Amino acid sequence: MYNEPREARVTRDVVWERRIIAARRRAALVDRAMTGLLALAALGLALVLSAIIFIILRAGLPALSWSFLTSASSITDPGGGIGPQIFVSIYVLVLSLLIATPVGVGAAIYLAEYARPGPATNAIRFSTEALASVPSVVFGVFGAIIFLTTMSLGFSVLSGSLTLALLNLPLMVRIAEDAIRSVPVAYREASLALGASRWETIRKAVLPSALPGIITALVLTGGRILGETAPLILTTGTTISPNARYSLNPLQTGETLAVHIWVLKIVGVPGLKDAQLVADGSAAVLLLIVLLINLAMAFFTTRLTRRLRGVGRAPRAGGSKKG
Amino acid sequence: MDTSAPTPTTMTIRAASLYYGIFRAVKEINLCFRPNVVTAIIGPSGCGKSTLLRSLNRINDRVAGFRVEGTISLGDTDVYAPGTDVVDLRRRVGMVFQRPNPFPMSIFDNVAFGLTLYAPPTRAALAALVEDALRASALWGEVKDKLRRPASELSGGQQQRLCIARAIATRPDVLLMDEPCSALDPISTLKVEELIAELKCSYTVVIVTHNMQQAARASDITVMMNMDAVDRAGHVIEVGDTDTIFTNPKHPQTEAYVSGRFG
Repeated sequence: MYNEPREARVTRDVVWERRIIAARRRAALVDRAMTGLLALAALGLALVLSAIIFIILRAGLPALSWSFLTSASSITDPGGGIGPQIFVSIYVLVLSLLIATPVGVGAAIYLAEYARPGPATNAIRFSTEALASVPSVVFGVFGAIIFLTTMSLGFSVLSGSLTLALLNLPLMVRIAEDAIRSVPVAYREASLALGASRWETIRKAVLPSALPGIITALVLTGGRILGETAPLILTTGTTISPNARYSLNPLQTGETLAVHIWVLKIVGVPGLKDAQLVADGSAAVLLLIVLLINLAMAFFTTRLTRRLRGVGRAPRAGGSKKG
Repeated sequence: MDTSAPTPTTMTIRAASLYYGIFRAVKEINLCFRPNVVTAIIGPSGCGKSTLLRSLNRINDRVAGFRVEGTISLGDTDVYAPGTDVVDLRRRVGMVFQRPNPFPMSIFDNVAFGLTLYAPPTRAALAALVEDALRASALWGEVKDKLRRPASELSGGQQQRLCIARAIATRPDVLLMDEPCSALDPISTLKVEELIAELKCSYTVVIVTHNMQQAARASDITVMMNMDAVDRAGHVIEVGDTDTIFTNPKHPQTEAYVSGRFG
């Protein structure tokens, strides 16, 4: 009688503990399985990138030479290069970013810092999201109507850059706004409490911390600009005038590397024997340019962040003693 | 409470109620924060201490729906009058936050931040002003050799003193501190409290604290706040000399709070 309640409790504890042990065993198993699955997903990503780099370079590297990179293309004789196409690609990239960045980053700052939540802000945000998912060829048709016909800019680098700027604005605004929003409120309050105006706070306390994110926005949109074909076919055209190669005139027609690949691979150039090789070489060059830009930006961002955080600057008084 | 004429650096709150939307968070406040005095605001969580403090430099304007009834003034300037220059007000009313929030910049640039906003001084003058501020916040000895290192490398207590240096570098009239030691270890807390005692020579200091010993040690005047049981609005229970509040409080709620029986 004295022992009975105790016995009961012990029995209950054993059941309880068995349940816990089983649950822990299950959790440990799931834990291990998920670790493996997630690692596999990450590994898959790295594999895809390596495969792309490997296969594209294996196909394209044989075409690469200094003259390939610098000489003009030819649609009749083998041995043509892609110099003007590289030039036009970079030109469109720079011009388009120059047009899109002030508007995109400006709108992002407005949405993140000034806009009061409300129906108007929601409408703007909804439009941004919706625009981001509009297919690029639709932007091409829009650009062809507005820039080519209405503004009579014709097939030109400027028409293409404007079209791509519009195409990239939503993505740029989204990423830049997220970057600005993720800056801790504490920085804003600290700055405001010191008597900084709203703009001074944004410029001195918010934007420096958001800059790496904003640069990411530029790099991502830049990659899209280099790879875009459909809207450019409709706005810059598919030819480069032989007497205007390397011309900075934005009203010239142009053909970017990506469009060049499309012409060679899909449209086809009858009679040109090395069309496939030139296309593969162009793809390799395009890939190398994008990788180079990514690496350069990663390096730049790291340096910038370190400089902003105060590391790596020449110490003034008192030497560089570490505390 | 002392009723002598207010000086230009006295903050006066008259019949003020603070609202978030339709919710009255703090009601019927009549207080006076005097120069060269440390005023501590104590009270349980949610009684509106921080809201009250954050209304003094209008940093709470950032919160949507926040509004003030009654008057809050600095000297003869009505803080919430339509024509008041908020930026200039905040320059005159500095603030130190609960968590140390140095900018992700060097120690030097943190202190120089406010200084370069108004009249950008020359390089040499700037260095001297930064040194002054760091000396005044008792941090100079610890950081003089690493002014160009990131502020994030400092310890929490050092970061908080850096934030104090940053706030006093622009020579405000009033210094607001919102639980400045709640994220600090006891030794850093003592250092900041010593610093507060020195700062009152030059500033009107208002400090919100959860720490009763801190209020007892560091302040001259103590304001006891609590939430009204009926309408859930924070209000002032008792104001008095810190010694009186802690040894001989008049109100039973104050007595219960300072003796640790609730809150």
